[in-house]
Amino acid sequence: MTAPTPAGPADALGAALSAEYAAIWAYGPIGVRLTGAARTAAREAEAAHRRRRDDLIVRLSTGGGSVPADRAGYALPFPVTDRAGALRLAVEVEERTAAFWRAVVPVTTGADRDGALAALVEYALRATRWRRAAGITPLTVPFPGRPT
Amino acid sequence: MLRAGAFLALGGAAAPLTGCGLLDRDDGPDPGPDPLTPLLDESLRLAAGHRDAAAAHPALAGLLTPIAEAHHAHAAELARVIGVPLPSASAPAAAVPAGDPASARAALRESERGGRETATRACAAAPAERAALLASIAAARATHVEALK
Repeated sequence: MTAPTPAGPADALGAALSAEYAAIWAYGPIGVRLTGAARTAAREAEAAHRRRRDDLIVRLSTGGGSVPADRAGYALPFPVTDRAGALRLAVEVEERTAAFWRAVVPVTTGADRDGALAALVEYALRATRWRRAAGITPLTVPFPGRPT
Repeated sequence: MLRAGAFLALGGAAAPLTGCGLLDRDDGPDPGPDPLTPLLDESLRLAAGHRDAAAAHPALAGLLTPIAEAHHAHAAELARVIGVPLPSASAPAAAVPAGDPASARAALRESERGGRETATRACAAAPAERAALLASIAAARATHVEALK
């Protein structure tokens, strides 16, 4: 996942789809390091990314545009060997995926923009909850999804 | 020295005046206030509310100070896109912090919830070049509601 700089809605949505693939993949190694409530939260987060992936595939293929393909695997930003690492990666995954939906906002209007904003907000909220679970402070960032 | 200081102060006050239309030609309808001005004011009010509550309840300072800073950063960005100087920090304070930390927190949570709605509407109505900033502000305010739980 690199910094999103899409030109139009199809590019932005294609980039968001690639980000969703990576997020779903990342929740594999995250989930196995978690137990209890955190594991349940990881499962719910993964399900949310799968729903958006499925919506994007339908939308991009009915729009006649190209649909980026999933990959067999993705490079993690750091090795995940324990609960703390899993929670840190979950924060990272949500923040990064949020950035791709933020990039969809300016290239869309109406219901499409509302949907992109809803995804950004949902993932930013999840990042905050993961920080709380990990004991990371502050719980929030000033500009969720903004490339740094 | 005194005179130089006074001159500098006058110069500073005069600059915005020319920008406000003293020398503008009167050849168009008044565009009116920028639609983001209420959002800028709200960011300053929210920043002040968190700052005041952090001062009144030191136990909450660790939670509230980063949120106050975020609102201030939002205000700075909004002022930049509107094209006005950032109003001084002496914004009219929001609600007076309630008596105990729990109710102060609940009151701030309510104002963040309202702020999230304002920012969401502003994002939906904004031109492309402003939409991403407003989206981040809406998302930030949503995370503040969560953090204040």
